Amino acid sequence: MTVTDSAILGVAGALLVVSGFLNRQKTVKAVKIGRKQFGNTLVFFVAIFAAIGLLEALVTPAQIQAVLGSGRGIFAPLVAALIGGLAAGPPAAVYPLGKYLLAQHASTAAVGTLLIAWVAVGTISLPAEVRFFGARFAFTRWGATLVLSIVAGIVMGWLL
Amino acid sequence: MRRLEKWLAKNWLVVPVGLVYAWLAVTRPATAARALKLAATTFIDTLPTLIAVFVLVGLLAVWVEQRFVVKHLGEGSGLKGIAIGAGLGTVLHGPLVGVFPLLEGLLRKGARPAVAIAIVSTWAIKLPMIPLELQLFGWKFTIVREGLLFASAFVLAPLIELAIGKHWIERFREPAEEGAL
Repeated sequence: MTVTDSAILGVAGALLVVSGFLNRQKTVKAVKIGRKQFGNTLVFFVAIFAAIGLLEALVTPAQIQAVLGSGRGIFAPLVAALIGGLAAGPPAAVYPLGKYLLAQHASTAAVGTLLIAWVAVGTISLPAEVRFFGARFAFTRWGATLVLSIVAGIVMGWLL
Repeated sequence: MRRLEKWLAKNWLVVPVGLVYAWLAVTRPATAARALKLAATTFIDTLPTLIAVFVLVGLLAVWVEQRFVVKHLGEGSGLKGIAIGAGLGTVLHGPLVGVFPLLEGLLRKGARPAVAIAIVSTWAIKLPMIPLELQLFGWKFTIVREGLLFASAFVLAPLIELAIGKHWIERFREPAEEGAL
């Protein structure tokens, strides 16, 4: 468990304790609601994490690097957006990859796009997003974020 | 039988993921084992956050009054609502799927769609990762990238809200049983 995990659990726990002092009945109800929703979505969460494991095991940073190539040219940000958007690794994994690509003379636009798309697009969580908010919302957000990652990458290339 | 059907409709993702695992287990057992281990690690790492999220979902349902959410994050909240959403998204952590239940709770309480979109947009800012980014890419790169991510909430939120249409929010506004999913 990281410091951040402990902090967020601590905050939630403290709020629960305060809530319990203020109103026992309401707090019991809150825990019941939370538990019910957790139970409702747990299997789906497990499936999503299983899918993340699959993607991480099947797609390695070396493969991503091979597809991205030198990471230069007009289409590099587009390719970076697609790769970053489809990948599902932990955020910490993309930073060293980006650093390596920059050292290989990839463009700032492509690396910026890759870094943003990697965390922001969230293709692997689309099934969950559709379940919570419907297909229209999920796919609109997915597409808009993909475009945004390219635009932001190009702006970064232009500014830096 | 009907219960199984209902369960599958709700948890359909289990089927394709299960099939890929089964296929991998037969053809490349080492990769299947590695995928399973990665999945278990990610899940265990996320479990504390998920538990905290559902505690917050429960507390939100019983303590925060609809009037309060509508006033600060509702249809009339304008730029302030989006700014609050962008701020919330910045401090939230854990995988995106963990944030969805919280967003749903807010929408049920009367938040406007743009607020939820702003939260998802800036959720991509990972505060604990900033030292790593600074170290690898320098402060200029980091500031521009994180700044663009934060600013993106103010562009994406109104745009996507417009694209999904006015009726989308109605699914969260029916007087359903409190806290029902």
